[in-house]
Amino acid sequence: MRKRLRLALALFMAFGLVAAACGSDATDVVDSAGEAVADAAESAQDTVEDVAEDAADVATDDGAEDDAMAEEGADTIVGTIKIGAALSETGKFSVEGKDSRQGYDTWAKWVNEEYGGIQLPDGRYEVEIIYYDDESDADTAANLVQRLIDEDGVEFLLGPYSSGLTTGASAISEAADVIMVEGNGTSDSMFERDFQNLFLVATVASDYTKSGIEAFAAKGAKTAVVAYEDTSFPTAVANGAIKHLEDNGIEVLAVETYPKDPTDLSPIISKFRELEPDIFIGGGHYIDAVLFTNAADDVGFAPDGMLITVGPSNPKLIDELGDSVEGVVGPTQWEPTMAYSGEWLGSAQDFATRYESYWGEAPVYQAASAAASGLALHIAIEQAGTTDTAAVRDALRAMNVDTFYGPIGFDDRGVNTSKPMGTVQVQDGAINVVAPDGAAIADFSYPRGN
Amino acid sequence: MNKAVFKTIGLVLAALLVAMLFFLPMLGHYGNDSTLFTVTLLLASVGTAISWNLTGGFTGYVDFGHAVWWGIGAYTTGVLMSNESEWIPQQWPLVPALIVSMFFTALVANLVGRLTMRLSGPYFSIAMLGFFVFFREVVRVVGPLTNRGIGLTIKPVINRPLWYYITLIFVLFLVYLSWWLRRTRFGASLIAIREDEIGAEMRGIDTTRNKVMVFTLSGAITGLLGGMWAYQNTFLDPDIAFVEVRTIDAVMGTMLGGLGTVAGPIIGMVFLFVLRELLWTQESLLQTHLIVQGLLLGAVVLYLPKGLMGLVRGEVAFLDRFRERSSTFDGMESAVLEAQESSISDSENEHPNDPVAMHPTWDGRTS
Repeated sequence: MRKRLRLALALFMAFGLVAAACGSDATDVVDSAGEAVADAAESAQDTVEDVAEDAADVATDDGAEDDAMAEEGADTIVGTIKIGAALSETGKFSVEGKDSRQGYDTWAKWVNEEYGGIQLPDGRYEVEIIYYDDESDADTAANLVQRLIDEDGVEFLLGPYSSGLTTGASAISEAADVIMVEGNGTSDSMFERDFQNLFLVATVASDYTKSGIEAFAAKGAKTAVVAYEDTSFPTAVANGAIKHLEDNGIEVLAVETYPKDPTDLSPIISKFRELEPDIFIGGGHYIDAVLFTNAADDVGFAPDGMLITVGPSNPKLIDELGDSVEGVVGPTQWEPTMAYSGEWLGSAQDFATRYESYWGEAPVYQAASAAASGLALHIAIEQAGTTDTAAVRDALRAMNVDTFYGPIGFDDRGVNTSKPMGTVQVQDGAINVVAPDGAAIADFSYPRGN
Repeated sequence: MNKAVFKTIGLVLAALLVAMLFFLPMLGHYGNDSTLFTVTLLLASVGTAISWNLTGGFTGYVDFGHAVWWGIGAYTTGVLMSNESEWIPQQWPLVPALIVSMFFTALVANLVGRLTMRLSGPYFSIAMLGFFVFFREVVRVVGPLTNRGIGLTIKPVINRPLWYYITLIFVLFLVYLSWWLRRTRFGASLIAIREDEIGAEMRGIDTTRNKVMVFTLSGAITGLLGGMWAYQNTFLDPDIAFVEVRTIDAVMGTMLGGLGTVAGPIIGMVFLFVLRELLWTQESLLQTHLIVQGLLLGAVVLYLPKGLMGLVRGEVAFLDRFRERSSTFDGMESAVLEAQESSISDSENEHPNDPVAMHPTWDGRTS
């Protein structure tokens, strides 16, 4: 009896597993059959086009007619460019992952539905983005990038969210010679590896505070203190800040670090109060901004300027802390109010309006950075006139364009050094861009409260 | 006869699997870099589960901080191979770096084991959780050595087939080690410790020494796997190297497969892996696959408390309940009694947890 039950159960399990496996196999077969048909159709089309081109070359007399024909052909969709991205749908980066995906999709939707597809000499190409969930895990992100390249055959990659995931994932794409354009992994160390295929449209972490510190220096600040969380990104930001302070002749009186996930930062603030600096620079994550502001209130620490790395560009901080954050300064990659625009996707405000119409919420800068990554790839493919990796890489290197996101131009490392980091200040409960001059919409107020 | 048939089928399947794994990189599209990467990660987690099973399964010391060895191994390799460490800026070659990683992790595990292996039950588990967090913070604090929270970058030289074979051979060795250990005097002592520690001590087993030894071995294995992973991932910071999920996976996989068995961690991890692959590749489950996975695993653990190995042996919770219920029916009663009897005699014959049956020198004393 027992044996029979055992056997029945084992058979049932085995059957279940086989059925599940067959299920996916069957779809694969259908998929690959479909692909084969599509490939055949494509190659047939290619042949037809080749013949047409040859004929056109021969018939040089009818130049005008040829041009007209070429233009007519150029406006029809002739293929798809496959792009892959591993993003965090689950785990600790799920919120930023969703913002990034919506950013990528805003660009893709616009390309396919309004722009009419990426323009190549033989016609227009739609873009298709294949997404996988990396669970906010470095192993999974790297594994998925390898899968996108080998299994899905993507021609280009867009980056995951965060420096930690992008560092590992970009090592895979570099080894496979596939270009990855990204906007949400900004740690400097990633770009010190002599990679040829990694491009960042956003400003690198060490330059986050550059325009803010220059604004402070212009207003006459002489001394500063720095505090930061001891993790990758805040450290890169703070090391950059210390360098920019020194470059601008501001003396650094003290540097303090604190471990991840702090609960109280008032000991650091108390120490800083005794030093009486002109400006305070600190931060790591959103919660740190809340802790620093509260601690400064409690301890009675009121420097002339406060620059907090993450938080001031987020309206939530003003809702939460009210007057306490008045005059606080922070960096931002992008704001809808910035005075940037370009021939693709319009101005910063146009992008924000479009994004809101697609997703029902205002874009945060992570979304804009993601959309700009797609756009930079798009422009490079058009300028190269091909999807060939080497040609697109050269086009990216030579790129110098203005966009809704700001100017885009990459240096030898693959970092967009053309776009300065913006600086915002909380002014009468509003978040206003105050630096750099090209993007500013309001005057910088210093000391705080003036 | 039943047992022999099961054993033969198991061996044939295992041999087929090993042959398949060895030829995988030669199978063209099916053995591309993506597949090799995925299978390498799976093999590494099987290795981790096997090493966890040595302390958690064989010895009965449930370690909630096992991933600490992975982190220490990874960081040792990272420090030696990266040029971002101030104290050791030289970039070591891979093989010496891995060897040092293994021995260094073994040394730390030995020292930690001397402290924690004196504790028992939940006290040990919680102490290990504490050590896990402790070492993660140490890495942040020893800035000049570990480049603080910024992390270390290793020059990426990725050769997937080579990496795959190295991992495969190492994990096969681990399976053999675990099988062999189970049959040695040392292995029998570990099981004796799990079943009755005081009793084992009274029978002359140096329990502390054995426990520290197995703990060190387990740490060395996971440390080496961590070092290999660091080289493959090319980047590590404290939050990427010291991940709680690695412990949870090892515990879950081992429990799922069958705690304290040789095949358990392998079967459990493969099952977990296949389940994940089936779930997350469904586009409709892009955002919810982890929830579905959690629910399914909960159900499996509820109904298969002895893991999948228990299922093979016919120990299924709902079947037991069904048997209890059906025993009220007269016609069924005798069959059930028979089944229960055979289950008792089964466990007498092949119960792997019985230290006395395992240890030849004890036979006389217990009979």
